[in-house]
Amino acid sequence: MTETELLAAAKAAVVAADEDAAKAVAEEAVALGLDPVRVIAEGFTPGMRQVGDLFERGTMFLPEVILASEAMVAAVSILEAHLPAEQKEKKAGVMVLGTIEGDVHDIGKGIVATLMRVYGFEVHDLGRDVALTSYVEKAKEVNATIIGSSALMTTTMVGQKTLEKMLKQAGIREQVKTMVGGAVVTQYWADKIGADAYAENAQEAVQKALELAQG
Amino acid sequence: MSPRERMLAALKGEPVDRVPVFSANQTATYSQMDVTGAEWPEAHMKAEPMAKLAAGAYTVLGFDAVRVPYCQTIESEALGATVKYAGREGVPRIDVHPFHVGDSPDYPEDFLSLGRVPELLEAVRLLKAWHGDDVVVMGNVVGPFSIVANLVGITDALKASFKKPDSLIGLLELAEKAGTALAHALVKAGADVIVIEDMMASIDVISPPIYLNLAQPYEKKQLQNFPAGIPTIMHICGKVNSIGKMIAETGTTAISVEPSVDAPALVTDLATFGRPIPLIGGVDAVTTLFSGTPDDVRADVRKALADGYAMIAPGCSVPPTTTTENLLAMVAAAVEAAR
Repeated sequence: MTETELLAAAKAAVVAADEDAAKAVAEEAVALGLDPVRVIAEGFTPGMRQVGDLFERGTMFLPEVILASEAMVAAVSILEAHLPAEQKEKKAGVMVLGTIEGDVHDIGKGIVATLMRVYGFEVHDLGRDVALTSYVEKAKEVNATIIGSSALMTTTMVGQKTLEKMLKQAGIREQVKTMVGGAVVTQYWADKIGADAYAENAQEAVQKALELAQG
Repeated sequence: MSPRERMLAALKGEPVDRVPVFSANQTATYSQMDVTGAEWPEAHMKAEPMAKLAAGAYTVLGFDAVRVPYCQTIESEALGATVKYAGREGVPRIDVHPFHVGDSPDYPEDFLSLGRVPELLEAVRLLKAWHGDDVVVMGNVVGPFSIVANLVGITDALKASFKKPDSLIGLLELAEKAGTALAHALVKAGADVIVIEDMMASIDVISPPIYLNLAQPYEKKQLQNFPAGIPTIMHICGKVNSIGKMIAETGTTAISVEPSVDAPALVTDLATFGRPIPLIGGVDAVTTLFSGTPDDVRADVRKALADGYAMIAPGCSVPPTTTTENLLAMVAAAVEAAR
Protein backbone atom coordinates (compact mmCIF):
# COMPACT_ATOMS: atom_id res chain seq x y z
CA MET A 1 0.00 0.00 0.00
CA THR A 2 1.34 3.44 -0.88
CA GLU A 3 1.07 6.24 1.66
CA THR A 4 -1.71 7.87 -0.38
CA GLU A 5 -3.64 4.61 -0.46
CA LEU A 6 -3.12 4.13 3.23
CA LEU A 7 -4.39 7.61 4.08
CA ALA A 8 -7.49 6.94 1.99
CA ALA A 9 -7.98 3.59 3.73
CA ALA A 10 -7.67 5.27 7.14
CA LYS A 11 -10.35 7.77 6.22
CA ALA A 12 -12.61 5.09 4.76
CA ALA A 13 -12.30 2.90 7.86
CA VAL A 14 -13.50 5.69 10.14
CA VAL A 15 -16.35 6.66 7.81
CA ALA A 16 -17.40 2.99 7.65
CA ALA A 17 -17.29 2.93 11.47
CA ASP A 18 -15.12 -0.18 11.13
CA GLU A 19 -12.85 -0.52 14.17
CA ASP A 20 -11.04 -3.64 12.91
CA ALA A 21 -10.22 -1.98 9.61
CA ALA A 22 -9.08 1.21 11.34
CA LYS A 23 -6.72 -0.75 13.62
CA ALA A 24 -5.36 -2.73 10.67
CA VAL A 25 -4.58 0.51 8.80
CA ALA A 26 -2.85 1.95 11.88
CA GLU A 27 -0.73 -1.19 12.27
CA GLU A 28 0.16 -1.17 8.60
CA ALA A 29 1.23 2.48 8.91
CA VAL A 30 3.50 1.54 11.82
CA ALA A 31 4.93 -1.43 9.89
CA LEU A 32 5.65 0.82 6.88
CA GLY A 33 7.37 3.32 9.17
CA LEU A 34 5.06 6.17 8.12
CA ASP A 35 4.87 9.38 10.11
CA PRO A 36 2.11 8.75 12.68
CA VAL A 37 1.29 12.46 12.94
CA ARG A 38 0.63 12.60 9.23
CA VAL A 39 -1.48 9.43 9.29
CA ILE A 40 -3.63 10.87 12.09
CA ALA A 41 -3.86 14.35 10.59
CA GLU A 42 -4.40 13.40 6.95
CA GLY A 43 -6.03 9.98 7.23
CA PHE A 44 -8.11 9.40 10.34
CA THR A 45 -8.95 13.01 11.14
CA PRO A 46 -10.51 13.80 7.74
CA GLY A 47 -12.51 10.58 8.21
CA MET A 48 -13.89 11.78 11.52
CA ARG A 49 -14.54 15.20 9.99
CA GLN A 50 -16.57 13.57 7.24
CA VAL A 51 -18.49 11.59 9.85
CA GLY A 52 -19.34 14.90 11.53
CA ASP A 53 -20.50 16.38 8.23
CA LEU A 54 -22.66 13.35 7.41
CA PHE A 55 -24.19 13.52 10.89
CA GLU A 56 -24.94 17.22 10.49
CA ARG A 57 -26.61 16.55 7.14
CA GLY A 58 -28.74 13.82 8.66
CA THR A 59 -27.32 11.06 6.47
CA MET A 60 -25.43 9.40 9.34
CA PHE A 61 -26.93 8.73 12.75
CA LEU A 62 -25.65 8.57 16.29
CA PRO A 63 -25.05 4.78 16.53
CA GLU A 64 -22.62 4.95 13.59
CA VAL A 65 -21.00 8.11 14.92
CA ILE A 66 -20.27 6.38 18.23
CA LEU A 67 -18.76 3.40 16.41
CA ALA A 68 -16.74 5.66 14.09
CA SER A 69 -15.46 7.55 17.09
CA GLU A 70 -14.40 4.31 18.77
CA ALA A 71 -12.67 3.16 15.57
CA MET A 72 -10.79 6.47 15.50
CA VAL A 73 -9.74 6.19 19.15
CA ALA A 74 -8.51 2.61 18.67
CA ALA A 75 -6.45 3.54 15.60
CA VAL A 76 -5.01 6.69 17.13
CA SER A 77 -3.93 4.89 20.29
CA ILE A 78 -1.89 2.45 18.16
CA LEU A 79 -0.23 5.35 16.35
CA GLU A 80 0.31 7.41 19.48
CA ALA A 81 2.72 4.84 20.87
CA HIS A 82 4.96 5.65 17.90
CA LEU A 83 4.84 9.42 18.11
CA PRO A 84 8.24 11.12 18.36
CA ALA A 85 8.88 12.44 21.90
CA GLU A 86 8.84 16.10 20.89
CA GLN A 87 5.43 15.59 19.26
CA LYS A 88 4.01 14.25 22.52
CA GLU A 89 5.11 17.45 24.27
CA LYS A 90 3.42 19.72 21.75
CA LYS A 91 -0.18 20.20 22.75
CA ALA A 92 -2.95 22.64 22.04
CA GLY A 93 -4.11 22.73 25.64
CA VAL A 94 -5.10 20.74 28.65
CA MET A 95 -8.79 20.05 28.84
CA VAL A 96 -10.96 18.70 31.63
CA LEU A 97 -14.20 17.35 30.26
CA GLY A 98 -17.31 15.81 31.77
CA THR A 99 -21.08 15.51 31.77
CA ILE A 100 -22.74 17.20 34.75
CA GLU A 101 -23.94 15.12 37.68
CA GLY A 102 -27.47 13.84 37.10
CA ASP A 103 -27.34 13.43 33.34
CA VAL A 104 -28.17 10.09 31.87
CA HIS A 105 -25.51 9.69 29.22
CA ASP A 106 -22.38 11.25 27.80
CA ILE A 107 -22.37 10.12 24.19
CA GLY A 108 -21.89 13.61 22.75
CA LYS A 109 -19.20 14.46 25.26
CA GLY A 110 -17.35 11.24 24.36
CA ILE A 111 -17.26 12.30 20.72
CA VAL A 112 -16.00 15.75 21.74
CA ALA A 113 -13.22 14.09 23.76
CA THR A 114 -12.17 12.02 20.73
CA LEU A 115 -12.01 15.04 18.45
CA MET A 116 -10.17 17.16 21.00
CA ARG A 117 -7.48 14.49 21.30
CA VAL A 118 -7.25 14.34 17.53
CA TYR A 119 -6.60 18.07 17.45
CA GLY A 120 -3.82 17.83 20.00
CA PHE A 121 -5.49 18.54 23.32
CA GLU A 122 -4.50 16.60 26.40
CA VAL A 123 -7.96 15.50 27.49
CA HIS A 124 -8.89 14.42 30.99
CA ASP A 125 -12.31 12.91 30.49
CA LEU A 126 -14.17 12.63 33.81
CA GLY A 127 -17.00 10.70 32.17
CA ARG A 128 -20.68 11.04 33.01
CA ASP A 129 -22.47 11.98 36.21
CA VAL A 130 -19.53 14.14 37.32
CA ALA A 131 -19.76 15.93 40.67
CA LEU A 132 -19.00 19.65 40.28
CA THR A 133 -16.17 19.45 42.81
CA SER A 134 -14.44 16.86 40.60
CA TYR A 135 -14.11 19.37 37.74
CA VAL A 136 -12.45 21.86 40.09
CA GLU A 137 -10.12 19.33 41.69
CA LYS A 138 -9.08 17.81 38.37
CA ALA A 139 -8.51 21.23 36.81
CA LYS A 140 -6.17 22.16 39.67
CA GLU A 141 -4.38 18.83 39.55
CA VAL A 142 -3.59 18.91 35.83
CA ASN A 143 -3.32 22.68 35.38
CA ALA A 144 -6.20 22.69 32.93
CA THR A 145 -6.47 25.43 30.35
CA ILE A 146 -10.06 24.58 29.36
CA ILE A 147 -12.94 23.05 31.29
CA GLY A 148 -15.77 21.65 29.18
CA SER A 149 -19.10 20.58 30.64
CA SER A 150 -22.07 19.03 28.94
CA ALA A 151 -25.68 19.05 30.17
CA LEU A 152 -28.65 17.27 28.65
CA MET A 153 -31.45 18.48 30.90
CA THR A 154 -32.47 21.82 32.34
CA THR A 155 -32.11 20.29 35.80
CA THR A 156 -28.44 19.52 35.19
CA MET A 157 -27.76 22.63 33.12
CA VAL A 158 -27.94 24.75 36.29
CA GLY A 159 -24.85 22.81 37.43
CA GLN A 160 -22.88 24.68 34.75
CA LYS A 161 -23.82 27.94 36.43
CA THR A 162 -22.76 26.62 39.84
CA LEU A 163 -19.49 25.39 38.33
CA GLU A 164 -18.65 28.95 37.20
CA LYS A 165 -19.12 30.11 40.80
CA MET A 166 -17.09 27.25 42.22
CA LEU A 167 -14.19 27.98 39.89
CA LYS A 168 -14.21 31.59 41.10
CA GLN A 169 -14.32 30.51 44.73
CA ALA A 170 -11.43 28.13 44.10
CA GLY A 171 -9.49 31.07 42.66
CA ILE A 172 -8.81 29.42 39.30
CA ARG A 173 -11.50 30.96 37.08
CA GLU A 174 -8.97 33.41 35.60
CA GLN A 175 -6.58 30.62 34.65
CA VAL A 176 -9.07 28.53 32.70
CA LYS A 177 -11.53 29.00 29.88
CA THR A 178 -14.92 27.37 30.24
CA MET A 179 -16.94 25.74 27.48
CA VAL A 180 -20.49 24.50 27.69
CA GLY A 181 -22.56 22.26 25.45
CA GLY A 182 -25.26 19.60 25.48
CA ALA A 183 -28.79 19.07 24.26
CA VAL A 184 -30.52 21.91 26.14
CA VAL A 185 -27.62 24.37 26.25
CA THR A 186 -27.67 27.51 24.10
CA GLN A 187 -25.43 30.51 23.41
CA TYR A 188 -27.90 32.53 25.48
CA TRP A 189 -27.27 30.27 28.47
CA ALA A 190 -23.48 30.44 28.00
CA ASP A 191 -23.65 34.25 27.98
CA LYS A 192 -25.98 34.30 30.95
CA ILE A 193 -23.71 32.22 33.20
CA GLY A 194 -20.48 33.76 31.93
CA ALA A 195 -19.01 30.74 30.17
CA ASP A 196 -16.28 31.57 27.64
CA ALA A 197 -17.73 29.52 24.79
CA TYR A 198 -20.70 27.48 23.67
CA ALA A 199 -20.60 24.83 20.98
CA GLU A 200 -23.56 23.22 19.33
CA ASN A 201 -21.73 20.12 18.17
CA ALA A 202 -18.39 18.33 18.44
CA GLN A 203 -16.87 19.97 15.35
CA GLU A 204 -17.75 23.41 16.62
CA ALA A 205 -16.40 22.51 20.06
CA VAL A 206 -12.98 21.84 18.51
CA GLN A 207 -13.00 25.15 16.64
CA LYS A 208 -14.00 27.08 19.74
CA ALA A 209 -11.40 25.27 21.86
CA LEU A 210 -8.67 26.07 19.34
CA GLU A 211 -9.77 29.73 19.35
CA LEU A 212 -9.74 29.80 23.15
CA ALA A 213 -6.33 28.12 23.19
CA GLN A 214 -4.92 30.90 21.00
CA GLY A 215 -6.37 33.41 23.46
CA MET B 1 -66.66 22.21 28.04
CA SER B 2 -64.89 20.82 31.08
CA PRO B 3 -61.15 20.22 30.72
CA ARG B 4 -61.90 16.50 30.61
CA GLU B 5 -64.49 16.83 27.85
CA ARG B 6 -62.20 19.16 25.92
CA MET B 7 -59.20 16.78 26.07
CA LEU B 8 -61.19 13.68 25.15
CA ALA B 9 -62.97 15.44 22.29
CA ALA B 10 -59.72 16.85 20.90
CA LEU B 11 -58.10 13.40 21.02
CA LYS B 12 -60.96 12.09 18.88
CA GLY B 13 -60.58 14.98 16.48
CA GLU B 14 -64.00 16.35 17.47
CA PRO B 15 -64.77 20.10 17.79
CA VAL B 16 -63.71 21.85 21.01
CA ASP B 17 -64.57 25.22 22.60
CA ARG B 18 -60.86 26.01 22.72
CA VAL B 19 -57.68 24.12 22.03
CA PRO B 20 -56.67 21.98 25.05
CA VAL B 21 -53.46 22.79 26.92
CA PHE B 22 -51.48 20.21 28.85
CA SER B 23 -48.13 18.45 28.85
CA ALA B 24 -47.54 14.96 27.51
CA ASN B 25 -44.28 14.98 29.48
CA GLN B 26 -43.51 15.74 33.11
CA THR B 27 -45.31 18.81 34.50
CA ALA B 28 -43.74 19.51 37.91
CA THR B 29 -42.01 22.81 38.70
CA TYR B 30 -40.38 24.13 41.87
CA SER B 31 -43.17 26.73 42.08
CA GLN B 32 -45.82 24.01 42.06
CA MET B 33 -43.83 22.19 44.76
CA ASP B 34 -44.08 25.35 46.88
CA VAL B 35 -47.83 25.67 46.31
CA THR B 36 -48.84 22.00 46.63
CA GLY B 37 -46.43 21.20 49.45
CA ALA B 38 -45.37 18.04 47.63
CA GLU B 39 -41.76 17.87 46.50
CA TRP B 40 -39.20 15.72 44.79
CA PRO B 41 -37.69 13.30 45.67
CA GLU B 42 -40.72 12.13 47.75
CA ALA B 43 -43.03 12.80 44.80
CA HIS B 44 -40.97 10.32 42.76
CA MET B 45 -41.33 7.64 45.39
CA LYS B 46 -44.62 7.84 47.25
CA ALA B 47 -48.17 7.87 45.91
CA GLU B 48 -49.59 10.77 47.88
CA PRO B 49 -46.92 13.42 47.18
CA MET B 50 -46.72 12.10 43.61
CA ALA B 51 -50.44 12.74 43.13
CA LYS B 52 -50.45 16.06 45.02
CA LEU B 53 -47.68 17.52 42.89
CA ALA B 54 -49.21 16.19 39.67
CA ALA B 55 -52.56 17.75 40.60
CA GLY B 56 -50.79 21.13 40.41
CA ALA B 57 -50.99 20.92 36.62
CA TYR B 58 -54.75 21.38 37.05
CA THR B 59 -55.13 23.28 40.34
CA VAL B 60 -52.21 25.69 39.83
CA LEU B 61 -51.75 25.86 36.05
CA GLY B 62 -55.27 25.19 34.81
CA PHE B 63 -54.09 22.51 32.37
CA ASP B 64 -56.69 20.14 30.91
CA ALA B 65 -54.87 17.00 32.03
CA VAL B 66 -52.76 15.81 34.94
CA ARG B 67 -50.07 13.20 34.57
CA VAL B 68 -47.77 10.90 36.52
CA PRO B 69 -44.92 10.09 36.97
CA TYR B 70 -42.06 12.63 36.54
CA CYS B 71 -39.25 10.34 35.49
CA GLN B 72 -38.58 7.57 32.96
CA THR B 73 -37.13 5.00 35.34
CA ILE B 74 -40.13 3.26 36.96
CA GLU B 75 -40.34 0.26 34.60
CA SER B 76 -36.55 -0.11 34.45
CA GLU B 77 -36.24 -0.05 38.24
CA ALA B 78 -38.94 -2.70 38.57
CA LEU B 79 -36.99 -4.78 36.02
CA GLY B 80 -33.84 -4.62 38.12
CA ALA B 81 -32.09 -1.30 37.47
CA THR B 82 -30.72 0.67 40.40
CA VAL B 83 -31.95 4.24 40.52
CA LYS B 84 -30.18 7.29 41.89
CA TYR B 85 -32.25 10.20 43.16
CA ALA B 86 -31.35 13.85 42.72
CA GLY B 87 -33.00 15.50 45.72
CA ARG B 88 -35.64 18.20 45.30
CA GLU B 89 -33.98 19.52 42.15
CA GLY B 90 -33.90 16.65 39.74
CA VAL B 91 -35.28 13.46 38.34
CA PRO B 92 -34.08 9.96 39.19
CA ARG B 93 -31.70 8.36 36.75
CA ILE B 94 -30.40 4.87 36.17
CA ASP B 95 -27.31 4.16 38.22
CA VAL B 96 -26.69 0.48 37.50
CA HIS B 97 -27.90 -1.14 34.28
CA PRO B 98 -29.14 -4.63 35.16
CA PHE B 99 -28.65 -6.38 31.81
CA HIS B 100 -26.30 -6.68 28.88
CA VAL B 101 -26.85 -6.63 25.14
CA GLY B 102 -27.75 -10.18 24.10
CA ASP B 103 -29.65 -11.02 27.31
CA SER B 104 -33.18 -12.41 27.12
CA PRO B 105 -34.45 -12.02 30.68
CA ASP B 106 -37.76 -13.56 31.76
CA TYR B 107 -40.62 -11.17 32.41
CA PRO B 108 -41.17 -11.07 36.19
CA GLU B 109 -44.77 -12.16 36.77
CA ASP B 110 -44.94 -9.92 39.86
CA PHE B 111 -43.82 -6.87 37.83
CA LEU B 112 -46.76 -4.76 38.99
CA SER B 113 -45.76 -5.17 42.62
CA LEU B 114 -42.08 -4.30 42.08
CA GLY B 115 -40.24 -1.05 42.83
CA ARG B 116 -42.37 2.07 42.63
CA VAL B 117 -45.03 0.58 40.34
CA PRO B 118 -47.58 0.20 43.21
CA GLU B 119 -46.99 3.83 44.26
CA LEU B 120 -47.51 5.03 40.69
CA LEU B 121 -50.77 3.09 40.43
CA GLU B 122 -51.98 4.44 43.77
CA ALA B 123 -51.12 7.98 42.63
CA VAL B 124 -53.40 7.49 39.62
CA ARG B 125 -56.19 6.24 41.92
CA LEU B 126 -55.79 9.36 44.08
CA LEU B 127 -55.77 11.73 41.11
CA LYS B 128 -58.84 10.02 39.70
CA ALA B 129 -60.65 10.36 43.05
CA TRP B 130 -59.67 13.98 43.56
CA HIS B 131 -60.03 15.43 40.06
CA GLY B 132 -61.17 12.64 37.78
CA ASP B 133 -64.58 14.16 37.07
CA ASP B 134 -63.08 17.44 35.90
CA VAL B 135 -59.79 16.67 34.25
CA VAL B 136 -58.13 13.91 32.25
CA VAL B 137 -55.78 11.69 34.25
CA MET B 138 -52.85 10.45 32.19
CA GLY B 139 -50.49 7.62 33.04
CA ASN B 140 -47.13 7.36 31.36
CA VAL B 141 -45.43 4.27 30.02
CA VAL B 142 -41.88 4.38 28.69
CA GLY B 143 -41.54 3.01 25.15
CA PRO B 144 -39.84 -0.38 24.66
CA PHE B 145 -36.72 0.91 22.92
CA SER B 146 -36.19 3.54 25.62
CA ILE B 147 -36.59 0.96 28.40
CA VAL B 148 -33.96 -1.19 26.70
CA ALA B 149 -31.61 1.81 26.59
CA ASN B 150 -32.11 2.10 30.37
CA LEU B 151 -31.59 -1.62 30.92
CA VAL B 152 -28.25 -1.98 29.09
CA GLY B 153 -27.04 1.62 28.90
CA ILE B 154 -27.68 3.97 26.02
CA THR B 155 -24.29 3.71 24.36
CA ASP B 156 -24.36 -0.09 24.30
CA ALA B 157 -27.96 -0.10 23.09
CA LEU B 158 -27.13 2.29 20.25
CA LYS B 159 -24.04 0.40 19.14
CA ALA B 160 -26.00 -2.85 19.15
CA SER B 161 -28.88 -1.24 17.25
CA PHE B 162 -26.47 -0.66 14.37
CA LYS B 163 -24.11 -3.63 14.60
CA LYS B 164 -26.21 -6.54 15.87
CA PRO B 165 -29.86 -5.50 16.14
CA ASP B 166 -31.01 -9.07 16.83
CA SER B 167 -29.16 -8.96 20.15
CA LEU B 168 -31.74 -6.48 21.46
CA ILE B 169 -34.86 -8.48 20.64
CA GLY B 170 -35.10 -10.42 23.91
CA LEU B 171 -34.84 -7.18 25.86
CA LEU B 172 -37.32 -5.37 23.62
CA GLU B 173 -39.85 -8.16 24.15
CA LEU B 174 -39.39 -7.88 27.92
CA ALA B 175 -39.78 -4.08 27.78
CA GLU B 176 -42.91 -4.33 25.63
CA LYS B 177 -44.52 -6.78 28.06
CA ALA B 178 -43.67 -4.64 31.07
CA GLY B 179 -45.04 -1.45 29.48
CA THR B 180 -48.20 -3.17 28.32
CA ALA B 181 -48.84 -4.66 31.77
CA LEU B 182 -48.30 -1.23 33.28
CA ALA B 183 -50.72 0.39 30.84
CA HIS B 184 -53.45 -2.11 31.76
CA ALA B 185 -52.86 -1.47 35.47
CA LEU B 186 -52.85 2.31 34.97
CA VAL B 187 -56.18 2.17 33.14
CA LYS B 188 -57.62 -0.09 35.86
CA ALA B 189 -56.45 2.47 38.44
CA GLY B 190 -58.34 5.20 36.60
CA ALA B 191 -56.11 6.61 33.86
CA ASP B 192 -58.14 8.07 30.96
CA VAL B 193 -55.23 8.35 28.56
CA ILE B 194 -51.87 6.57 28.26
CA VAL B 195 -48.79 8.44 27.08
CA ILE B 196 -45.93 6.44 25.61
CA GLU B 197 -42.69 8.36 25.99
CA ASP B 198 -40.17 6.81 23.62
CA MET B 199 -37.49 9.48 23.80
CA MET B 200 -34.66 7.21 22.69
CA ALA B 201 -36.59 6.21 19.58
CA SER B 202 -35.94 9.75 18.34
CA ILE B 203 -34.15 10.19 15.05
CA ASP B 204 -31.84 12.55 16.93
CA VAL B 205 -30.62 9.28 18.39
CA ILE B 206 -31.32 6.45 15.91
CA SER B 207 -31.79 6.33 12.15
CA PRO B 208 -35.18 5.82 10.44
CA PRO B 209 -34.24 2.23 9.44
CA ILE B 210 -33.39 1.42 13.07
CA TYR B 211 -36.65 3.05 14.21
CA LEU B 212 -38.54 0.90 11.72
CA ASN B 213 -36.66 -2.25 12.70
CA LEU B 214 -36.31 -2.00 16.49
CA ALA B 215 -38.62 0.68 17.89
CA GLN B 216 -41.78 0.86 15.80
CA PRO B 217 -42.69 -2.86 15.77
CA TYR B 218 -42.70 -2.97 19.58
CA GLU B 219 -44.61 0.31 19.91
CA LYS B 220 -47.14 -1.13 17.50
CA LYS B 221 -47.39 -4.44 19.29
CA GLN B 222 -47.79 -2.60 22.58
CA LEU B 223 -50.60 -0.42 21.26
CA GLN B 224 -52.37 -3.50 19.87
CA ASN B 225 -52.15 -5.08 23.32
CA PHE B 226 -53.33 -1.99 25.23
CA PRO B 227 -56.83 -1.90 26.77
CA ALA B 228 -59.36 -1.48 23.96
CA GLY B 229 -60.57 2.03 23.27
CA ILE B 230 -58.10 3.84 25.52
CA PRO B 231 -56.72 7.00 23.84
CA THR B 232 -52.94 7.05 23.50
CA ILE B 233 -50.33 9.71 22.90
CA MET B 234 -46.94 8.78 21.46
CA HIS B 235 -44.18 11.23 22.39
CA ILE B 236 -40.93 11.05 20.44
CA CYS B 237 -38.28 13.77 20.63
CA GLY B 238 -36.42 15.38 17.75
CA LYS B 239 -37.29 16.41 14.22
CA VAL B 240 -39.39 13.34 13.50
CA ASN B 241 -40.71 14.26 10.04
CA SER B 242 -38.86 11.40 8.35
CA ILE B 243 -40.56 8.84 10.66
CA GLY B 244 -43.87 10.69 11.12
CA LYS B 245 -45.90 8.23 9.06
CA MET B 246 -44.23 5.26 10.75
CA ILE B 247 -45.24 6.67 14.13
CA ALA B 248 -48.83 7.04 12.93
CA GLU B 249 -48.75 3.43 11.67
CA THR B 250 -48.32 2.24 15.26
CA GLY B 251 -51.98 3.08 15.71
CA THR B 252 -51.42 5.77 18.32
CA THR B 253 -54.39 8.13 18.81
CA ALA B 254 -52.24 11.27 18.82
CA ILE B 255 -48.58 12.28 18.41
CA SER B 256 -46.61 14.65 20.64
CA VAL B 257 -43.49 16.29 19.18
CA GLU B 258 -40.85 18.97 19.70
CA PRO B 259 -41.05 22.34 17.93
CA SER B 260 -38.03 21.36 15.80
CA VAL B 261 -40.52 19.35 13.74
CA ASP B 262 -41.85 20.84 10.50
CA ALA B 263 -45.42 20.80 11.82
CA PRO B 264 -47.34 21.76 8.65
CA ALA B 265 -45.53 19.00 6.72
CA LEU B 266 -46.26 16.45 9.45
CA VAL B 267 -49.93 17.49 9.62
CA THR B 268 -50.14 16.92 5.86
CA ASP B 269 -48.60 13.45 6.26
CA LEU B 270 -50.97 12.57 9.09
CA ALA B 271 -53.98 13.69 7.06
CA THR B 272 -53.40 10.76 4.69
CA PHE B 273 -54.39 8.20 7.33
CA GLY B 274 -58.16 8.48 7.06
CA ARG B 275 -58.56 9.04 10.80
CA PRO B 276 -57.85 12.16 12.85
CA ILE B 277 -54.35 12.00 14.40
CA PRO B 278 -54.05 15.16 16.49
CA LEU B 279 -50.60 16.75 16.61
CA ILE B 280 -49.56 17.84 20.11
CA GLY B 281 -46.88 20.35 21.11
CA GLY B 282 -45.81 23.76 19.85
CA VAL B 283 -44.21 25.38 22.89
CA ASP B 284 -40.43 25.15 23.12
CA ALA B 285 -39.56 23.81 26.57
CA VAL B 286 -36.08 25.32 26.77
CA THR B 287 -35.92 28.55 24.77
CA THR B 288 -39.47 29.59 25.59
CA LEU B 289 -40.56 28.05 28.89
CA PHE B 290 -37.16 28.03 30.59
CA SER B 291 -35.59 31.21 29.18
CA GLY B 292 -38.54 33.15 27.75
CA THR B 293 -41.35 35.41 28.92
CA PRO B 294 -45.15 34.98 28.89
CA ASP B 295 -45.18 36.95 25.62
CA ASP B 296 -42.77 34.45 24.08
CA VAL B 297 -45.09 31.66 25.23
CA ARG B 298 -48.08 33.37 23.63
CA ALA B 299 -46.13 33.75 20.38
CA ASP B 300 -45.28 30.03 20.39
CA VAL B 301 -48.94 29.11 20.94
CA ARG B 302 -50.14 31.38 18.11
CA LYS B 303 -47.55 29.92 15.74
CA ALA B 304 -48.43 26.39 16.82
CA LEU B 305 -52.11 26.94 16.05
CA ALA B 306 -51.27 28.45 12.67
CA ASP B 307 -49.01 25.45 11.96
CA GLY B 308 -51.82 22.97 12.59
CA TYR B 309 -51.20 21.69 16.10
CA ALA B 310 -54.50 20.38 17.49
CA MET B 311 -53.45 20.39 21.14
CA ILE B 312 -50.99 22.73 22.86
CA ALA B 313 -48.19 21.34 24.99
CA PRO B 314 -44.48 21.82 25.65
CA GLY B 315 -42.36 19.88 23.15
CA CYS B 316 -40.53 18.15 25.98
CA SER B 317 -40.57 17.84 29.78
CA VAL B 318 -41.43 21.10 31.54
CA PRO B 319 -38.14 22.44 32.98
CA PRO B 320 -38.75 22.52 36.76
CA THR B 321 -37.50 26.11 37.03
CA THR B 322 -40.24 27.29 34.64
CA THR B 323 -42.28 30.12 36.14
CA THR B 324 -45.97 29.65 36.78
CA GLU B 325 -46.54 32.83 34.70
CA ASN B 326 -45.05 31.17 31.62
CA LEU B 327 -47.23 28.08 32.06
CA LEU B 328 -50.37 30.13 32.72
CA ALA B 329 -49.62 32.02 29.50
CA MET B 330 -50.04 28.77 27.55
CA VAL B 331 -53.62 28.50 28.78
CA ALA B 332 -54.27 32.24 28.39
CA ALA B 333 -53.09 32.15 24.78
CA ALA B 334 -55.39 29.21 24.03
CA VAL B 335 -58.34 31.09 25.53
CA GLU B 336 -57.43 34.24 23.54
CA ALA B 337 -57.16 32.25 20.32
CA ALA B 338 -60.73 30.95 20.75
CA ARG B 339 -62.20 34.44 21.01
